[in-house]
Amino acid sequence: MSNDSILKTFLVAFLLCVVCSVLVCMAALVRIDKEAYNKQLEIRKTVLAAGGFQQQIDDGGNIDELFTTNMELKLIDLDSGEFTTAVDSVTYNQKEAVSDPALSEAIPADLDVAGIGTRAKYAAVYQATNGDLVLPIRGAGMWGPMYGYVAVADDCTTIKGFTFYQHAETPGLGAEVDNPRWKAQWPGKQIFDNSGALALKIVKNGRMDPNAADAINTIDGLAGATVTGNKVQGIVRYWFSQHGFGKFLANQKAKRG
Amino acid sequence: MSKAQDALLDPLFNNNPIALQILGICSALAVTNKLSTALTMTIAVTLVTGFSNASISAIRNHIPNSIRIIVQMTIIATLVIIIDQMLKAFAYEMSKALSVYVGLIITNCIVMGRAEAYAMKNPVYESFMDGIGNGLGYGLVLLAVGFVRELFGSGKLFGLTILSPVNDGGWYVTNGLMLLAPSAFFLIGFIIWGLRTWKPELQE
Repeated sequence: MSNDSILKTFLVAFLLCVVCSVLVCMAALVRIDKEAYNKQLEIRKTVLAAGGFQQQIDDGGNIDELFTTNMELKLIDLDSGEFTTAVDSVTYNQKEAVSDPALSEAIPADLDVAGIGTRAKYAAVYQATNGDLVLPIRGAGMWGPMYGYVAVADDCTTIKGFTFYQHAETPGLGAEVDNPRWKAQWPGKQIFDNSGALALKIVKNGRMDPNAADAINTIDGLAGATVTGNKVQGIVRYWFSQHGFGKFLANQKAKRG
Repeated sequence: MSKAQDALLDPLFNNNPIALQILGICSALAVTNKLSTALTMTIAVTLVTGFSNASISAIRNHIPNSIRIIVQMTIIATLVIIIDQMLKAFAYEMSKALSVYVGLIITNCIVMGRAEAYAMKNPVYESFMDGIGNGLGYGLVLLAVGFVRELFGSGKLFGLTILSPVNDGGWYVTNGLMLLAPSAFFLIGFIIWGLRTWKPELQE
């Protein structure tokens, strides 16, 4: 049979497609099996890191074990600021809910300091056995969206930890938000001042005065990353505002005394 | 030297795909800010060029001329998808760091170029060696660029601190340019300059 006959052309194309698609399917099956677990592991690692378990992770602790013994997934209704069981917390996907009109709501432009436009009605938060709350945050960064977690202590105003797990900031400058030395200044800072007003802010690198009255509310920014600093400030200020987790934290504080 | 040995060693310096044929530059810019990503990319491309050359060579006498490019493309794409899926399954963080660039190996001119120029005309073993050689020639440049970029951009090699950077409380002021893609252009330019000075017969 001539190589260039029509029959041979179709035959070769058909056989090639069958062989290749079988191989691709097998590879995809292996990947699908593992990927869901990998994604879950990544979220768990971030939640634990924000919640103050970085040391145990670095020491080679089992992430699944640390997570299941220390963290509990809960859903909260951001509008009322209360825990809710309106949707199933296990299947609920907050990232997808943002683009679902039934599960999201628009943010008024004057309140939208994080630059996100809409937010999900319900937030998936993690409550640690010691009472710490690990809250998901997101917002616009300099080059793309930033996703992370911030952990708040039992008193509902002291930050326990802060970390991003996805961002596209400039390597070497804004991407230093991942630098452990920078993240180390977050724990211990107060989100609210004594009157309960939102006070957390990020100042330009080097402008932080450790003796100032509001030093406990102030984060020193990153050198050469003023825009990223402003964006991160917008993100935390939005999520701790009354439109974000403000009501929830106030309710929790009242309950916990 | 035997033909297979030639096929393996020639692309390293004498006929380097990046430095001489100026192919595969896109990914050479994108994945070389760390040695670990450059190494993973090297392994991925070497496996793809090796096995695509071998399998195309194995069926070269049965490929109808009218559909030969699409046949090559299908084989290459299959291999790339398998590698991409395996990375996602077993090296999830690495696959995130490489993002789309593993998938883009499909369009890497080196793979297609070797399939069309070499594998269609040569036996399986020589073709396999030619593919491995070209993958390694590509990887050699990637690793050289990655070495300089990671060392001067973050003061590290394979993530281990060599020059303690000021951001971590050390003394080394990192070179931010090295972390951005344009630095790879300069470095590849220097490599091409060096190679052509060393081997003047490569000059055009």
